[in-house]
Amino acid sequence: MSRNAAMIWALARRALNEITRVPGAAVPGVLAPTIFMVGLSGVFGQAARLPGFDAADFRTFIVPVGLLQGAAFTGAATGVNLARDIERGWFDRLMVCPAPRTTILLGVVASAAVRSLLPATLLTCVAFALGVDFPGVPALLLTIVLIMALATAIAFYAVIIALRFRTQQAAPLMQMGGFIAVLFTAAYAPKALLAGWLSAVATVNPVSPILTGVRQGFVGDVTWHDTWPALLASACLLVVLGSWAVHRLGRVGD
Amino acid sequence: MIRTSLALARRTLLDAARRPQFLAPLVIFPSLFLAINTGGLHRSTDLPGFPHVGGFLDFQLAAAMTQSLLLGGVAQGIGTALEIESGFFDRLVASPIPRVSIVLGRILAGAVIALGQVLYFVAIGLIFGASIAGGLPGLLIVLAIGVLAGTGFCALGVMIALRARNASTVQGIFPLVFVVLFVSSAFFPRALLSHPADWIASYNPLSYIADGLRDPIISSVSLQPVLEGLAAAAGVTAAFVALAVAALHGRLREA
Amino acid sequence: MSTAPAIETIGLEREFGGGLKAVKGIDLAVAPGEVYGFLGPNGAGKTTTVRMLVTLLRPTGGRATIAGFDVATQPADVRRRIGVALQEAALDLLMTGRELMELQATLHGIPRRAVAERAADLIGRVGLANAAERRVGTYSGGMRRRLDLAMALIHAPEVLFLDEPTTGLDPTSRTTLWEEVRRLRDEGTTVFMTTQYLEEADQLADRVGIISDGLLVAEGTPAALKAEIGAPHLDITLGGEAPDAEAARRALEPYGACRPAPDGAHVSLQVADGAAAMAGVVRALDDAGLLVEGIELVRPTLDDVFLAKTGEHLEGAAEEAAPA
Repeated sequence: MSRNAAMIWALARRALNEITRVPGAAVPGVLAPTIFMVGLSGVFGQAARLPGFDAADFRTFIVPVGLLQGAAFTGAATGVNLARDIERGWFDRLMVCPAPRTTILLGVVASAAVRSLLPATLLTCVAFALGVDFPGVPALLLTIVLIMALATAIAFYAVIIALRFRTQQAAPLMQMGGFIAVLFTAAYAPKALLAGWLSAVATVNPVSPILTGVRQGFVGDVTWHDTWPALLASACLLVVLGSWAVHRLGRVGD
Repeated sequence: MIRTSLALARRTLLDAARRPQFLAPLVIFPSLFLAINTGGLHRSTDLPGFPHVGGFLDFQLAAAMTQSLLLGGVAQGIGTALEIESGFFDRLVASPIPRVSIVLGRILAGAVIALGQVLYFVAIGLIFGASIAGGLPGLLIVLAIGVLAGTGFCALGVMIALRARNASTVQGIFPLVFVVLFVSSAFFPRALLSHPADWIASYNPLSYIADGLRDPIISSVSLQPVLEGLAAAAGVTAAFVALAVAALHGRLREA
Repeated sequence: MSTAPAIETIGLEREFGGGLKAVKGIDLAVAPGEVYGFLGPNGAGKTTTVRMLVTLLRPTGGRATIAGFDVATQPADVRRRIGVALQEAALDLLMTGRELMELQATLHGIPRRAVAERAADLIGRVGLANAAERRVGTYSGGMRRRLDLAMALIHAPEVLFLDEPTTGLDPTSRTTLWEEVRRLRDEGTTVFMTTQYLEEADQLADRVGIISDGLLVAEGTPAALKAEIGAPHLDITLGGEAPDAEAARRALEPYGACRPAPDGAHVSLQVADGAAAMAGVVRALDDAGLLVEGIELVRPTLDDVFLAKTGEHLEGAAEEAAPA
């Protein structure tokens, strides 16, 4: 068990090198959610005046969206990095080592959870500086858990795409998956204000309860009623996408 | 010069047609934004001060077009940078063609692709219930402003590529596209933007381009927004084409 | 010591989508401690065969075992016993040599307390101790190949796979790598090596297998394969205004079978010990009043073997023959 943990840690540390050793490599991914949050609230801020909008202001309402977007970008980046490793032959090196496939997969995606905290930290600091209220420690802790879980789930998805197409050119497909997952929810407005088709999509989108969970504290209080669906949805995404990724990894070489 | 520019433009277009996976993001991402903005904020038309429109989709089409055209400019910039990295650019420079046609060819190709992009969003809008209030003249104005603006954005992309010399630098511009759009009236009426976005939007040529694209869609053709849109698109195009040519000469002098 | 083959394939096949069969049924066996050279041109199926043996590709027909374990049904057991250095030295350029070695050691389950020591030992063995703390991105091609080899050896594998290990290397780096392969053989490691370079196979391999169009067309020691093609012969170029190849043939009858060329200016003499016979041959021709413009001892090469078996030359032969 400890050997597997050492393998996961070694692979995760390697994945973090991109941030620590390539100047500026992480900047776009870290900045983008904050840019979106500031930009969107500057553009659509008046929408919060619509009857039925629960939040104090539009910016507070979409901060959670930005946090999840950061998680999605980070998860997609994991898949892009794996695709690059496949193109350069590094992935073959992993596949011929005797480490269990599950261990390799966990090592590849583990860094996504940690990296997702970078854009989240910047966004939260900027949001507070712009007047968004502190959501409270319980809400913040829950947010951290949900962000890390979503980043890992999207990383599993991106890994599946990378293993299927084996090229960095599939990057837009990886990014779009996370993009759609996060934004086809009650991202911009409460569900009651959404157009019919988007409301229907948001109802079945597993990221919707996660967004609701993250929104707690920023909008309204933290309640078990909104927390357990978020945790359950996160767990389901991790299990389903993780199993699919393990299965896909096992089929490498077929 | 015209003949070689057209030949190089044709080459760029053939290349794009053979690799549609590089064209797709130019319309797919803006389409997703269009869907999300429309689906999420369609009630915004109820806000006091919102212009009279058939639907929020009618209003948002111009934003999607502007966004797509900007991404088209980034794509042509990346294409130019890749040609520089691969050495094909040097091959063209060493050939007996007028060198300015290297830049003009790609910009011309961008103009043709821009036409396709605008037509795509017109079609999407019509399919999902929007209408062009200005009728056929309105449609022609939308196409004119769109192609002109798209040409200018391509010239911008080419200029950046000639200065940056590598594709990843040009790709890093991608987030800036959204920054510039957010401080314009592309997505929302200028009067309803927060401060200081509303102030910046008054000076942002994208606002006038988007408003020029929008006016024939949401109302019968009005002179002021259309003329401003054409002027902004023409100004952007003239400026960036000149800068792109200057960048080309600068690069050739360094070589 | 086990006498079972270190590597054994029976009817090994690999078919890709669209019915393309890259490997069409290969039977080979490599004894423990043997260096086996796997020769063939690009597209012959060398790399596909290697990828099946190292469990990167699943065979679609036949079977293969490495150290007694089946590559299809027991891949994890195979991976514990093999080291692999593939055609592209796939290294992380952001990491230092030491970091890469330690990562490799960890991935191969070497206990944590032994990782640093083992990594340092291997890095020193391939002559990279002074560069261990530098990022791999600063390494030359030869250094990267050596690091790649060191990584393949981190867990002391029973069987080492080298896919074109010296392609693109300068002569000095190539020689260094050859010495390392010889040392590994002396230590009892089985080495399965693909190469396009005939000299490499000649120098290093105990036995050679030649693959063409997905099939093994020849197998044996380099000497035996070359002997199959023919004995060494002397190529003699006659000089003068009217060279008489027929007269040369008569003069050289005592030495062996002599064949005049149609142009009348060349003869080819099959002779058991060409080097020793050369002086006598020249004297015999001189006594017959014939002028010798040139004389060369020609030995069959593995490319001659390949040409005889497949009708084509190996690319490596063309490269080695090309003027510098």
